[in-house]
Amino acid sequence: MSGKIAIVGAGPSGCYLAQALLKKAPDLQVDLIDQLPVPYGLVRYGVAADHQGTKGVARQFARVFERQGARFFGNVAIGRDVTLDDLRAAYDAVVLAAGLSTDRRLAVPGDDLPGVYGAGRLTRALFEHPDAEELPDLGAHPVIVGNGNVAIDLLRLLAKAPEELDGSDLGEGPSRWLAQSGIKTITITGRSPAARAKFDAVMVKELAKLSDVRIEVVGAGDSDDPAELKTLEALTAIHGHGDGAKRIIFRFGLTPKAVEGEGQVQAVRFDTESGEEVIPCTSVLTAIGFEAAPGLPRDALVAEAADAEEGRLAPGLFAAGWFRRGPRGTIPENRADAQALASVILDDFSADPTRMGGQVFDGLDNIVDYSGWSRIDAAETGAAPEGRCRTKLATRETMLGVAGARETTK
Amino acid sequence: MKITILYGTETGNAEMLAEDIQSEIEGDHEVEISNLEDFAPADFDADCFYLLVCSTYGDGDLPASAQPFADAMAAEKPDLAAIHFAIFGLGDSEYDETFNHGPKKLAELMIAHGAHQVGERVAHDASGSDMAEDLAFPWAETVIAEVSEKLGEAA
Repeated sequence: MSGKIAIVGAGPSGCYLAQALLKKAPDLQVDLIDQLPVPYGLVRYGVAADHQGTKGVARQFARVFERQGARFFGNVAIGRDVTLDDLRAAYDAVVLAAGLSTDRRLAVPGDDLPGVYGAGRLTRALFEHPDAEELPDLGAHPVIVGNGNVAIDLLRLLAKAPEELDGSDLGEGPSRWLAQSGIKTITITGRSPAARAKFDAVMVKELAKLSDVRIEVVGAGDSDDPAELKTLEALTAIHGHGDGAKRIIFRFGLTPKAVEGEGQVQAVRFDTESGEEVIPCTSVLTAIGFEAAPGLPRDALVAEAADAEEGRLAPGLFAAGWFRRGPRGTIPENRADAQALASVILDDFSADPTRMGGQVFDGLDNIVDYSGWSRIDAAETGAAPEGRCRTKLATRETMLGVAGARETTK
Repeated sequence: MKITILYGTETGNAEMLAEDIQSEIEGDHEVEISNLEDFAPADFDADCFYLLVCSTYGDGDLPASAQPFADAMAAEKPDLAAIHFAIFGLGDSEYDETFNHGPKKLAELMIAHGAHQVGERVAHDASGSDMAEDLAFPWAETVIAEVSEKLGEAA
């Protein structure tokens, strides 16, 4: 089967989809387009810097380009550099796998006070995303709102002692920021009872390795459900861990009602089963999910979708990964999702050889192709200092400089 | 020698390694490869040597694609006394308590049904500095030599 497929977003969902498509139909031309000059999306900028094993899937994705013949068009924003309509005209099928990167807001009074930061905003800054804002001062007593794996990632990174980041790819600036954070207490709150917290038990267990913390789990409660018990056991096991400098407090059954403060966060007011409770704090870190970034009209596309469950948005237009399903599911779930979507796409695929494919990008400046990314990758791993496995290039300018001129794409 | 590579995978890393092993050894042997989720216990063939490649997922669990196979083994209780296998594991020592528990469980499952393990279970660590294939290729060579000797075949 021949034909041309464009995938918008070279993160894990897009890469797994390209892998699955090319496994089923090796003669397809599959082009992965990313608004960043570098591929792999959340594997690079979302998976925590101290979870390098999880980032190992990038080796599979490299093969998609190196052996399966997919092409990378980095530093190309659909909607800005090329319209979605033009892209659809150029390819037999277009798949939107752009993820969801905007932090969902608390939607309570005061959620825009200075000192309220979304997890995405913070992790982008920590992991040196080129569009990241500055790392803010969190003060001595941040509160994390959210009970998913992203919340636990933030908690763990904020609680780590400098030497516990050995082997990571956390950059020099973020490492210094963490070492100097002055954090004394981190309170992590969830709306649900502990038994229904969304984080994985293994993420909780990992906290028992932290050297400079003392952990309290308040009101974990009970459950009869085996899956819930696993979470509860993990929480019970870390209660009382450590006698280090940073105090970590797990709280449950707290529904945020308002963020309070005069010109700066000073407290969060919660509803609880036994009435209201106010927790004083110096900053509020929200980890309650993500929404579509501006650029692609995601919500309208999904609302008008022919079959959103299968991933069909319109004829020749599909959605994958978080962009389709919402901000839930880990890397392997996106693999399974991509494999299912590859079948859906190829089931009624027809190729029109007159379509221009990648030529639609001709005339754009500063496209980074896979060899450009390989140069960035080599520069980053080559520059890793003692105790780090990589030094990320943190701006588009430096990335484009190292990537160099685009090689011919034909 | 007839060799079947069976892999249990969650993120695809074990699948990739299994395919690499296939490429590495298929010049010298008759090699087939299958995802464990597509393999039934009744498919085991005593004339074949089985190379198992399996990851660990979650809290020391079998990866998703090995789970249906484990369920089928429990239900069908096959007699694998004539079956020889070797196993290579993938894991992440970041989670040291459960490091390589997936392949450990899979090996125990095979042995519990009478199968004979050849060689040591070798484990790759995703948080280490080795490439999985740099450990897996020598492992495959060693266990294939060992089973050839054992079964009185020329390697």
